[in-house]
Amino acid sequence: MTELLATRGLETGYGTMQVLWGVDIDVGESETVVLLGSNGAGKTTLMKCLLGLLPQRGGEIRFRGESIGRLPTRARVQRGLAFMSELGVFPDLTVDENIDLGALFTPRARARTRAAELYDLFPVLKEKRRQAAGGLSGGQRKMLGIAKALAGDPKLLVMDEPSAGLSPLFVATVIRSLAACRAGGLSLLIAEQNVKFLELGDRVFTLEGGRIRFGGTPAEIQADDGLRRAYFGLGQDDPGQPDRGQAHDVRT
Amino acid sequence: MLTYALLTGLIFGLYFGLVGLGMNLVFGVMRIVNLAHGDVLMLGAFTAFWLMRVAAVSPVLTVIGSFVLFFAIGIPVYYALVPRLQRSREPEMLSLILFFGLSQVIEAVMSMLFGNNERSIPSRILGGGPVPVLGQTIPFAWLCAAAVSVGLFCATYLYLYHTRLGRQTRAIMAQREEAVTIGVDVNRVSAVAFGLGTGLAAVAGVFAPFMLGSFTPSIGVPIDLVSFAIVVIGSLGNPLGTILGGAIYGVCLMLMRTYLSSFADLLPNLVLILVLLVRPTGLLGRRVRHA
Repeated sequence: MTELLATRGLETGYGTMQVLWGVDIDVGESETVVLLGSNGAGKTTLMKCLLGLLPQRGGEIRFRGESIGRLPTRARVQRGLAFMSELGVFPDLTVDENIDLGALFTPRARARTRAAELYDLFPVLKEKRRQAAGGLSGGQRKMLGIAKALAGDPKLLVMDEPSAGLSPLFVATVIRSLAACRAGGLSLLIAEQNVKFLELGDRVFTLEGGRIRFGGTPAEIQADDGLRRAYFGLGQDDPGQPDRGQAHDVRT
Repeated sequence: MLTYALLTGLIFGLYFGLVGLGMNLVFGVMRIVNLAHGDVLMLGAFTAFWLMRVAAVSPVLTVIGSFVLFFAIGIPVYYALVPRLQRSREPEMLSLILFFGLSQVIEAVMSMLFGNNERSIPSRILGGGPVPVLGQTIPFAWLCAAAVSVGLFCATYLYLYHTRLGRQTRAIMAQREEAVTIGVDVNRVSAVAFGLGTGLAAVAGVFAPFMLGSFTPSIGVPIDLVSFAIVVIGSLGNPLGTILGGAIYGVCLMLMRTYLSSFADLLPNLVLILVLLVRPTGLLGRRVRHA
């Protein structure tokens, strides 16, 4: 599989506090990678560092073969990296305006076509296109966040906790939306603490205390007893394999 | 008398809206309080005095020239001061100190160079005499100031809501870090907003001699107080809320001057305290649904 994004020995932090310690992860073309970790594991810090919102203190970030660690956020977005934060939208702007802003580096005509495609993917947004994003429900805001991130035709969508603040019903809706994007060939890097997102993943990494503890397939993580205990809340004595539909949220 | 107070209150309200508009735009985008705003207005008044009264330049050219000149001055001032402020730990607090200092420097330099005597511009320079409106006689200069204010409100609205740069400006106002993540060039957009704020203050300054009667180099601080009250009444960070804040302030001011003239100077502080007690986010404060 062709490498799209890779970090090698990535280190960063805030002030005198180091948060990430030599993080190695990689995402291939058309691949979905889930980064599992509990609160405080360093997921958001890693996402911010990938986007250039936090300066890296060591290591390397490569995107499409180019070292992007010293580039500003704007240049990384221009190269095809899109980010969806926990908030994901501009609450004071309309749905239309949010999607338009997601396509800052896209020619006008293509941006319009892309917006029409996104409204087909998220019909509920089309009905509310003139409404302020702040007035949408939590699930609709997540959909808008995804649509905004996809408006610029990115190569890789990096998402920070897309399930945050959502009811299980909306989580399922978001997972369905992302599955549709994945089927279209988009690469995804999803930082989550909700293991339901494993159903999307080709590979999974676990992050603990700013270090990568595990990297493998979703089947491998479920086969590992310690990881099962940590992330699914199930031990060796539990009957059968954990059902992904019954998987637990590792939020603390 | 009531009709006159309400009518002139509305006219002054529109003008005061223009006075606060630039300050609110700058606060909305950069989250810094530009306490040199009133001094830029004073510099605009000096520019109008020299251009219209001394050089006999037409009022229309003076308004356009002042806006362009101060917009152009605002951009390098932004790059010299604001990005450093934004990198500091407490940009809001430091902005108060820095721009207050800048305000004092501007006032002191202008006082030393041109003296503290009051200057005025005769209303006839704008052309036209008193105009009858709804049975009241209103000076033509006041109507000009109100009309220019309305024109600049419309232009600001069009910029913010119907241009891509304006949408990026609103995106920064809504969520600065989110705007960075989608690739908005925050410095460029903020510099334009700062330039616009400076230009708008200068245009308000052009009309200050007509609306205030006269001006001196020390009008900056009282203008800042008025601007701040108007901005907070409308909604801090919402430039278009300034129009509502200005209208309320103008009408209240004229009613006070008409019926309780000795208390009129207390008005900015009274309205400010009242709004902060009743609705701290301002009358057009943001409402967001939390699902």
